[in-house]
Amino acid sequence: MDLLTSESLARLASVKLRARAVVDGVLSGLHKSPHQGQSVEFAEHKEYAPGDEIRHLDWKAYGKFDKYYVKRFEHETNLRGLMVIDTSGSMGYRSIALSKLDVACTLAGALAYLLVRQQDAAGLVISRGDVVTDLPARATVGHLPLVLNALEGLAPEGQTNLTLAADQLADIVSRRSLIMIFSDLFDDRAEALKRLLQLRVRKNDVAVFHLLDPAELTFPFDDLTLFLSMEDDRKLEVNPREIKRSYLNELQKFLSQVRASCAEADVDYELVRTDERLDAVLLRFLARRQGRAR
Amino acid sequence: MTFAHPWMLLGAFAALIPLLVHLFDRRRPRPHPFGAISFVLRSERRTASRLRLKRLLLYTLRTLILLVLPIALARPQLVRDAQAAIASRGTAATAILLDASMSMQYADEQRLFERGREQARQALADLLPDEPATLLLCDADARPPSVPDFNRGRLRAAIDTARPTYGVSDMSRCMNLAARALEESPIIGKRLVVISDLAAHAFRLDLPPPTIQGPKGERIRPEVLIRDAANGATSLPNRAVTDLRVEPSLLGGPRAFQFTFTVRNLSDEPVKDLEASLKIGDQVVAKGFLDIPAHGGARKTLLHTFATGGEYSGEVSITSDHLPADDRRSFVVHLPKQLQALVVNGEPSPIRYRDEAFFVDAALSAAGSPVQEVIRDTESAFREAFEHYDLIFLLNVSAPAPEVARRLVEFVQRGGGLLISMGDRVDPEAYNKLLGAILPRGLRMVKTAVSSEPGDLDSSAARIKEVAFDHVLFLPFNGKAREGLVGARFFKYMLLEPAQSAPGEQASSQVLATFDDGAPALAFARRGQGRVLLYTSTVDRDWTDLPLRTSFLPLIQRFAAFLCGSLEERDEAKARVGASFVLSAPTSQAISWVRSPSGLRVPTQKRDDGSALVGPISEPGVHQAFNTAGDEIPELSFAAVLEPSESDLTRLRPEELSTYFGEETMRASAAEAQRQRVPFWTWLIVGAALAFFLEGVLLRK
Repeated sequence: MDLLTSESLARLASVKLRARAVVDGVLSGLHKSPHQGQSVEFAEHKEYAPGDEIRHLDWKAYGKFDKYYVKRFEHETNLRGLMVIDTSGSMGYRSIALSKLDVACTLAGALAYLLVRQQDAAGLVISRGDVVTDLPARATVGHLPLVLNALEGLAPEGQTNLTLAADQLADIVSRRSLIMIFSDLFDDRAEALKRLLQLRVRKNDVAVFHLLDPAELTFPFDDLTLFLSMEDDRKLEVNPREIKRSYLNELQKFLSQVRASCAEADVDYELVRTDERLDAVLLRFLARRQGRAR
Repeated sequence: MTFAHPWMLLGAFAALIPLLVHLFDRRRPRPHPFGAISFVLRSERRTASRLRLKRLLLYTLRTLILLVLPIALARPQLVRDAQAAIASRGTAATAILLDASMSMQYADEQRLFERGREQARQALADLLPDEPATLLLCDADARPPSVPDFNRGRLRAAIDTARPTYGVSDMSRCMNLAARALEESPIIGKRLVVISDLAAHAFRLDLPPPTIQGPKGERIRPEVLIRDAANGATSLPNRAVTDLRVEPSLLGGPRAFQFTFTVRNLSDEPVKDLEASLKIGDQVVAKGFLDIPAHGGARKTLLHTFATGGEYSGEVSITSDHLPADDRRSFVVHLPKQLQALVVNGEPSPIRYRDEAFFVDAALSAAGSPVQEVIRDTESAFREAFEHYDLIFLLNVSAPAPEVARRLVEFVQRGGGLLISMGDRVDPEAYNKLLGAILPRGLRMVKTAVSSEPGDLDSSAARIKEVAFDHVLFLPFNGKAREGLVGARFFKYMLLEPAQSAPGEQASSQVLATFDDGAPALAFARRGQGRVLLYTSTVDRDWTDLPLRTSFLPLIQRFAAFLCGSLEERDEAKARVGASFVLSAPTSQAISWVRSPSGLRVPTQKRDDGSALVGPISEPGVHQAFNTAGDEIPELSFAAVLEPSESDLTRLRPEELSTYFGEETMRASAAEAQRQRVPFWTWLIVGAALAFFLEGVLLRK
């Protein structure tokens, strides 16, 4: 049985278990990942010059060449990963077993596992309408349960306010960080996405996980339907067949805009269908990250 | 505007359905919380005006469909000027004449008769409620129609069950019959609706147009409406097999026949390489091609040799055209069957060519001969049982003994065939005495036309001068073949008594050939059920050189076949569709009934002499005769042929019709035709279909 399909993951009650399952899947896909192993690695030899540390002299090289060479090492800097979760009402939409918020929490949990596993810091920012709460990034193993517990208790409510989340993040993030945003980006404010992407300007690495439900992507409705907003009291009675083509055009336009904005701001963009395998999503993301690092 | 089925208009209330659905549709939409509602709202705003227009169009189209369909089914009819004028002249008793002749079977897109039937229905529907009507199907056997009445259902049923015939119609006669029926109606107005293909041969324009006796005894002309079943077509091109002669072919062998047929091209375009085929039974046995000029004809002969004797049926056909009925012509060929003949040799000779029976033997034993012969001298022949034979040849036989003569008479009376040829041994007086009862004529004396001096032979020898070439015996002797018969020289021959003076002779005898001095060369008589041929010269070279001629062999073979009744004696051309003819029964079997090609019984009246009056024949093709026991009589099968005039579809010109019926009639008829061509309800159906299509397109958008 495939444990990583959305139906299987939905049977796992807690985010903790779901995140763990996804991480296992990811790790089995990263056999010789550059992320595993030493934190300090040899990079190259350099001819000794006054001022270089004597302890880094390579005596074996001196024996061979009768010259002083200094070993240079590449230190992996400690990464601060901040996962921004949009918990607005629209994130609670589901046409399959997992809602967009469930998928966001699972992905965030799995990434927290991976970060902490390689001694990087993992933090959490939760955007709930006009309220933004955060859990500072820590690299300790004991911090992981806090992150997972915070994810566990999330419920969709309120309106999407990515502008506020962007402003708060600007205050929270004091060092260069990898900011991973999990949202459906359904914010009617025109500048919301731009503000989020401006975080990149501050030397932060930004990645957007754009979560969409399959029904939102394909609009598979036939009968006369009363569509209700999940964030406010808007509603509309309409024959879905009559507007399907127009809806899909609008959505495609929106997706193109988002993609173009992300590309312009040099931000990683990942469109996540909530019915796809989450380990595949993470592997795709990590592979892209690896490509960027090289 | 009037409606053929006004109750159908009730269906127009269905047009309210879309409105009612709109007003009372209480379908509850399914509530559905949706994350991307912003896009839904934006899409709805963007498409709202278009959707509103689409809904309005859909509503309109659906209403239109539901409104138009019942109206179309109610068959609305627009009353145009001409019809209004007719109506303004008041009500009229109406006789509808529907041409049911063979030419109405002509089919272009639709059979003319079907179109005529629709026009008849339309004419019936056009009648005002107080107009009585009657219907006359105009075929070869048209009878006076009933007095006009108001029983529309009966007329409609008669129109529905009407079928085109293979006969000829005389529209002038039919119009007069209809006019007589209209006279019976008390309504003053009289109207004739003539539905026809307007083939010129059906109208006798030399006769005065139909008139009706008015209330004061004066003759008045009824109103005539002409409905053209051919929809105003300028011409109806047709090709037809108009004639067929089936004759034995002397050149082809004993059972070879030649089928000579004429094909007429009744169109404005010449025809090239028209395929013609000869079919025996179901098998095509010969094919040919014809080139026929426009409005011309061409003749073709196809040959076929039959393997055995018997009755054969078949047809000659050409490639089918718009009128297939006249593209074929059926025939029946009766070939002589194998016959048993007793040849009594009156003067045998050890020298073969001097033997009396030498040439007869050669003729009867030739390949293809219908006769199986036994040659005996007089003594042994007369000891034979005659009933074992179909015919007896008495060749230069001295008079038989009285007992033998009695048996010979009995043999003939029971149906046997007897050929008597002369010679030096024949004693006229003894023959007259003993065989007088069966001789066609009494024998008188031998006449010597020329001495046997070689120099006198050509100049003084008698020759056959007159021959009944139309008799079945001599049918093959046409053209050069006659030379072999009339060129023969006769040195001696037996003179016969005049027909009236022969004592005890029966009245019916026939001279089929005479010499140049008028003396009979060949006499024939039916005696009882048998036949007797009396040939007044010899069958060897003693009295004539006929045995040396090419005509001798077929002549003897045909004598044999004829004596046994195996030769066709009926004229096939007499069996024409639409006519009656006498079917003679040459055998002892009486005709009980006759079956047509489609299996129907043809009216048959038995006559005292065993023959039957068959007809009127209703369809072309091979007909079969049956006896009282229900067994087929194959030799009485016959083929009925179509009247060629019906194949000529040359149409009356409008000016001819105008001259005959009057300008006013033609104008009204033209307006009728115009109205007929595009019925209003058809356009309504087309409109509804278009609306339905558009609705489908809109729904897909």
